[in-house]
Amino acid sequence: MNTLIRKKLAAFVTVSLTAAMIAVVPSVAQAADPQCAVASGITQCAGATSDGALYTMMAPLNFNGTMLLWSHGLRPNIDIPVGIPGYGGYTVNGAAEWAPGLSDKDTTVMFSLLSQGYGLAGSGFSRQGVNVSQAVAANVELIGAFKKQFTKTTKVVAWGASLGTLITQKLAETHPGLVNSTALLCPATAPPTALTSYFGDFMWGFKTFFDPTIKGFGYSAGAAGVAEAKLDLFKFFTALGALQAGLLSGAWPATSSPAGKALEANLIPSRSALTLIALMAGVPLRSENVDGVSGPLGQELRYALGVAPAVAALQNAGTVGLAEILLMQDGENQTGGIVFDNTKTDYAARVDAERDIYTVAMSSGDAIDAMLNILAATPRVTASPAALAKMNTLIEIKGKVSHPTVMLTTESDQFTVAGAGQWMIDQYAQQSADEKAAAITAAKKSRLYVAPQNMLAAIWDKTADKYSKFTAAGSPDLTATIGDGTGHCKYSAKQILAVAKMAIGAAETNRLPNPALIATAARKVGLSYDKKFSVPTFKSLG
Amino acid sequence: MSRLHSRKPFLAGAIVAAASLFASALPAQAVSEVGVTASSIKLGITLPMTDAASPGYNKIPGAMKAYFEYVNASGGVFGRKINLVVKDDMYVPTKAAANAKDLINRDKVFALIGALGTSSNKAIAAPAVQVKSKGVPSLFVNSGFSGFANPKVYPTYYSILPSYQMEAKIIAKYVAEKFAGKKIGLLYQNDDFGKDALAGFKTAGMKIDIKVPYAPLSQGTPNAPPGWIKKLQDGGAEVVILFGVSSATTAALGNAYAKNFKPQWILGSVGGDATTIASAKKIPVTFMTGAKGLSFAPAPSDTTDEYIKLFQEINTKYNKDSEKSFDNNIVAGMSSAFLAVQALIATGPNLTRKALMKTIDTKSATFANPFLTPLGFSSTAHVGATGYWIGTYDSTGALKKDGTSYLVYTTDSANAPVVVSNYVRPKLPAKGF
Repeated sequence: MNTLIRKKLAAFVTVSLTAAMIAVVPSVAQAADPQCAVASGITQCAGATSDGALYTMMAPLNFNGTMLLWSHGLRPNIDIPVGIPGYGGYTVNGAAEWAPGLSDKDTTVMFSLLSQGYGLAGSGFSRQGVNVSQAVAANVELIGAFKKQFTKTTKVVAWGASLGTLITQKLAETHPGLVNSTALLCPATAPPTALTSYFGDFMWGFKTFFDPTIKGFGYSAGAAGVAEAKLDLFKFFTALGALQAGLLSGAWPATSSPAGKALEANLIPSRSALTLIALMAGVPLRSENVDGVSGPLGQELRYALGVAPAVAALQNAGTVGLAEILLMQDGENQTGGIVFDNTKTDYAARVDAERDIYTVAMSSGDAIDAMLNILAATPRVTASPAALAKMNTLIEIKGKVSHPTVMLTTESDQFTVAGAGQWMIDQYAQQSADEKAAAITAAKKSRLYVAPQNMLAAIWDKTADKYSKFTAAGSPDLTATIGDGTGHCKYSAKQILAVAKMAIGAAETNRLPNPALIATAARKVGLSYDKKFSVPTFKSLG
Repeated sequence: MSRLHSRKPFLAGAIVAAASLFASALPAQAVSEVGVTASSIKLGITLPMTDAASPGYNKIPGAMKAYFEYVNASGGVFGRKINLVVKDDMYVPTKAAANAKDLINRDKVFALIGALGTSSNKAIAAPAVQVKSKGVPSLFVNSGFSGFANPKVYPTYYSILPSYQMEAKIIAKYVAEKFAGKKIGLLYQNDDFGKDALAGFKTAGMKIDIKVPYAPLSQGTPNAPPGWIKKLQDGGAEVVILFGVSSATTAALGNAYAKNFKPQWILGSVGGDATTIASAKKIPVTFMTGAKGLSFAPAPSDTTDEYIKLFQEINTKYNKDSEKSFDNNIVAGMSSAFLAVQALIATGPNLTRKALMKTIDTKSATFANPFLTPLGFSSTAHVGATGYWIGTYDSTGALKKDGTSYLVYTTDSANAPVVVSNYVRPKLPAKGF
């Protein structure tokens, strides 16, 4: 993109966009006509849907008729106390987001798409947290508003990241006539119970060993539950900090359960329990700065076998624990009961296939058995059937792919784990098989076989083999550049644009690009289109 | 003149084995398979080449390469030269998996061969490595974990070692016959390796009086090994079976010597490698003297064995490693390479991964091989060697047969009885492959 144009656009956005948004936010929860302004060749509108969700729409004067509807990822539905890593100081925020990157003040993707004639739209949604239903409703209105404002609109690409992929997929499933293609970045596309189990299993194991006073489940309704969640955040991160401090010594947090302290007395280090918890929940044992195969000079073997899995678990645990507390509190608040259930979970079976691989990190057979025995003897969490049913109405998707869909999954994503992308792939494999069988049956009558069209391009951000760096003191360097294929939604603008262009092309032609083109486009930006690549699905799905 | 040179005139007038004739006479055909060209076959191996677990094992690739060089020098297999790509995993399972992924996706090998270690091979089976999804044969995995022989779980894995369960059953039989009434101690690695052995002892109905599990790598810590010996000594063990790695053997024998504890040692096949023990330079190999040990290949010192003689000659001429003293590891490497070549020849010129695996499943009974027990490969069980001979270590650390012939036992990983084997292995092909 021309630098001068880009600078002008940037100036426009930072000045006029803010002014426009302030000017048009309706004071009542009902739809209002958006207020628009034109500057530097771009029409920009801001408005609100009937439930008060703020939105922004943009289209260049040379708008080509294709718009991209963005759904942002999870924003907490409660204020996060200062001091909580990553999110501390956050206040609930419903500002519109109409392209990826904007939450990090990166406008690269937005300007690139606008400069190519595409329209953009996105909402902030009327509520945060678990908001799939509300977000779908807002998006439906937003598509209507966009088409009304920009009458040349012919194609709609729905796209989103993280929780936004659930919103996008749900929109495509429930309003198939409104979208022409979809793009799912770091997908959270999975059955509700798989998602709650991932976070719930981790937190249940964590509190069992490291702080049984953490609630994790069964929050009170309303403000009391919010207060409990905030207290849990402090407790969780306090215990996590103690685990970090005791990583090498093996010391357990002072808040550990009697069972945890008994393990400590038997010289089983806390890192072994943390590794076991991560393994049983399915938390990746590679993280942004831990490749799992490297170690400080001269200690490679012992570090890689004994310490690295726990360091990776620790680096990933913050996101998982934070999300668990926020999602469970909000989910329970909306559904009226506990939505996690581990009454029938066999944690020993969960780790059986991998316990030998990580045996050193978990202090080997007897220690692993001792820890599993503690988990087996600990009272379980029982879900409310009514709450589960309501949760399904809020976030359940079928996984049916009826539009060309481009999906980008990170192999070692600790938040929206790769198993979610794999679940979509598996669902679609079954759908494809069914469609093929139906086509064969139809062909027997019509004598004309029409092969079903492939509708899913699953692109992978595979985890690099080796990327860990260590400080001179031999500690993992957590400030170093993160490894490819790690972290949550850590995509470059080029990668996002490559996916967007595939989805745009699919919307315009009603079919995905051919596999060779997808593979080439993916490879050029460091991604992989490999139909034979797969990852384990969610642990709870077996 | 070495035997390698002396064989050539003999071959000129000999009736060459049909398979060998095919292998050298038929030109390779154009095939569309990863890692195979008209003139080459690319194989890959991951194993510990550096760090604590590497001594001994790091001689295996050199031995494999030597055998492949020998075959290549004679024209290869259907005109294809075999190349081996070697990667070091330091015995770290996640690194083994990363290496295997590299071998499959970047080096684009036709097959893996000889990947070493139970944990490493389990890690290699992870979906992301794509062994299964791409149908990559993993030939002759160096692990006795019985699960790898199950093609329902590991469809492309082919074991070469008798399983640890077989080994345990055979030891139980031997102990019952030779040391009846003695108090038995067992020192074992506390992971799937040791658990497999425990399952075998249980199947055999063996009573173990003192069980001492040890955590992997704990043998390197100062306090653990003296504790093992104390438990065994205090328990009055008269026969101690060691089911662990060589570094654990070193620690156990060293600490036992210090405590003047002198049971009858029975060293499992994994932990009884004198080369590894010697290279650690922590105890003299004389500490192994009199211990019983197990092997399924002929003793490296047995120059009456035609396979061992051939391997020694190949090792001398073709092994380019600086450390190539002829021992169990060299025999293991060459045996795997030898068996791979047999499988490639039997598959024929139209080489594909599927065809190779089908050949091993259906024709392995006809493969020449150096082992003293039958091969157990079939479409329902990917079992390699199916038994062991038991002998005694001498003062040089060499495992020698007791008496004039090998006492070979055979069994399975389930409930079949342990019996003395009367197996007669196929003759060494005249050309050596």
